[in-house]
Amino acid sequence: MNPRTLLWLATGLVVWAVLPFIVPRYMADLLVFTGIYTVAGLGIGLLLGHCGIVNLAQATFYGLGAYASAYCTVMMGLPSVVGFLVGAVISMALAYVIGRPILRLTGYFLALGTLALSAIASALFFEWDWLTGGTLGIGGIPKLDLFGFLLDRPSRYYFFVWIVAFACMAVARNLVDSRTGLMLRAMRDSSTAAAALSVDLQALRTRVFVVCALFGSLAGSLFAHHASFVSTQSFTVDRSISFLLIPVIGGATSIPGIVVGALFVTFLPELLSKLGDIHQILFGLALVAVVVLMPEGLVGAFGKLRTRLAKRGSGHG
Amino acid sequence: MAEPLLALKEVGHSFGGLSVLRSVTFDVPEGGIIGLIGPNGSGKTTLFNIVTGYIRPLAGTVTYRGAVLGRDTIQQRGLQGLVRTFQTPQVFEQMTVLENVMVGCTKLTRTTMLQDLLRTPAARGQMREIRDRAEAACERFHLTALRDLPAASLTAGQRRILEIARAVAGEPRLLLLDEPSSGLNVQEIDDLRDWIVRLNQEGITILLVSHDMGLMTVARTVHTLYFGEIIASGDMAAIQRDPRVREVYLGV
Repeated sequence: MNPRTLLWLATGLVVWAVLPFIVPRYMADLLVFTGIYTVAGLGIGLLLGHCGIVNLAQATFYGLGAYASAYCTVMMGLPSVVGFLVGAVISMALAYVIGRPILRLTGYFLALGTLALSAIASALFFEWDWLTGGTLGIGGIPKLDLFGFLLDRPSRYYFFVWIVAFACMAVARNLVDSRTGLMLRAMRDSSTAAAALSVDLQALRTRVFVVCALFGSLAGSLFAHHASFVSTQSFTVDRSISFLLIPVIGGATSIPGIVVGALFVTFLPELLSKLGDIHQILFGLALVAVVVLMPEGLVGAFGKLRTRLAKRGSGHG
Repeated sequence: MAEPLLALKEVGHSFGGLSVLRSVTFDVPEGGIIGLIGPNGSGKTTLFNIVTGYIRPLAGTVTYRGAVLGRDTIQQRGLQGLVRTFQTPQVFEQMTVLENVMVGCTKLTRTTMLQDLLRTPAARGQMREIRDRAEAACERFHLTALRDLPAASLTAGQRRILEIARAVAGEPRLLLLDEPSSGLNVQEIDDLRDWIVRLNQEGITILLVSHDMGLMTVARTVHTLYFGEIIASGDMAAIQRDPRVREVYLGV
């Protein structure tokens, strides 16, 4: 690693470590959400950027993770780790069972299929109130306890969430750099040619969908232990859309881009809300601006700008 | 007589009542170069699609290494060493030249999703092997200077070579080339012919589809397809003398 990269990395690490202590509490809270959304967005990014699949169902798996954690800890009094595991297993199983038929679809039809999944799940979360508490939700979810260290403040939970998020980013990076990652990108660029080279399209798509669901569920469990209360409003189709926005805004093929996208969807609405009623329109405009002006997302646009500046610099030198 | 590597027996196909192949029968002997010529719409690409599993024939059988290819998928046929290229080169445009070739090597290795997610030593080992093989293939096909460029930036001729390099990197037993000379200049066609001969000498059996009569002289046996039927077979000299072929091609 060259000294400059090392310096950047060290600075980043210091900023990351002191950030929750120097910002107001509500911002620390938003930073926790950024971490949670990064985990959920990573799955969507893998599907969108590396498989060309639009997944509008992430709120389903986010909800499954959250309800599993809520139900296991509050209703059954089980340790929180059980909630995480139950959510992950159910989400992955559902993604496998539903993924196999709907991943045969492509393009808009597949996007609509996942949207339908999110709509059905959101209706079921509402209807099955014996399990989910319906609109009243489930409250009193305990804060996470890490070997006797209670993560009861945003500044504490922040570190836990972000360590999980960094671990997920590392796992996603591994996948992208692996043999599977190669086959995924081949499939995205030309499925016909990928098939001729013995890439099993169906199996790969299903597996990545399952990994995406795992990230979604993990994020949901993290959310439940942060909010202490879960109800149907958190797992609607709207939430699925904002999860999809994360890679679209940040840059679907870039892993740091997911963090940028997650910052965008958590911070911007909050900052704009200070401007009064117009904030939703402004958020919409900002969104359209990014999508239209920067098709490769904020990270892609930044990369292009840097190349251009570097060219100009060398041109004069 | 030794068993042929690939044998088509009375293969027939039609699209919505329009018959495109009628009772096509021929063999591809192991180690041979077999050519398939015919005017546009004569059914050459359909035949390729049937052999490689993109289409299931409505009649007849395709036998490969002594076993009938029935419901075998495209991927399974690929794993058995049957690899094709496309009439319009299908490169992975957003990937680099090296990555394109690496995809061709993935089928020679095996990893599970979990190994790849956790980047286990086994997964890294497989990836190293893929990279080494791909680098060697790039070197061989003189693509090393281009290896880090996105495939989208290549010329038509370079795309053809890349597609062949990618197919060969996966160690095929039977290589099916669909109109490999279309879009190439004279020099590039010469190079292509050299490659076909060299790969064949290394033991790869080749089935070549083209309507380029010049390129076809590399084939030992050429079958002429006309409206879904084989109207003449033989070496290129015999084909060119055949009255029916002359009628079809030259209108005399």
